[in-house]
Amino acid sequence: MESHFFSMLLFAGFVSLVFSVLMKDEPGDQLRLGVTLFISFVGAAVALGWIFFPFPL
Amino acid sequence: MGRKSRESRRVRVGVKPPQAFTGPGSGRAVVVATIAWMIPGCGHFWLGRHQKGIVFLIALPVMFAIGLGFEGRLFSFEASQPLALLAAIAEFGNGLPYLIAVGCGIGEGRVVAETFEYGNTFVIVSGLLNMLVCLDAYDVALGRK
Repeated sequence: MESHFFSMLLFAGFVSLVFSVLMKDEPGDQLRLGVTLFISFVGAAVALGWIFFPFPL
Repeated sequence: MGRKSRESRRVRVGVKPPQAFTGPGSGRAVVVATIAWMIPGCGHFWLGRHQKGIVFLIALPVMFAIGLGFEGRLFSFEASQPLALLAAIAEFGNGLPYLIAVGCGIGEGRVVAETFEYGNTFVIVSGLLNMLVCLDAYDVALGRK
């Protein structure tokens, strides 16, 4: 449970939830925006991970 | 194609218009924003936005609690350390959960913990998100949304 990836998923989930509820009024719009934000967060994190993969620690 | 008006948007989504305040609008809005800061989500509850209020009431304190569970630290207000001061200001945005944690002595943080930085991130961001929620409640109270 205490993996870096899970922590990142948890963080992305909470931030996506709050932003989607804050910015939209209709539940359908909130859900669409929330899913979009979550996928964007996770996708960006994974992409950055692969971009930095060739570089040593 | 013209843009839909704010009033027609309220009708379409079934949102109640902001409550009419008898006193100066900005004064009441400040009270609503203060309540929203103190208890995340309660500002929206007071304004009739129950669905948003419930989400913020659950999500933000849970995020704060997870941050503390990850052994994140509640930074103190030290002017000599600007970055810690900024973190303390952000964490202060959590409102009552922050005050309770500080009062109970929770939030010492354990630097050597693997989840220390994640905990800090959760606590800081939950405070910042609550600040956004307060601003939203303020705008709704003023009738801007």
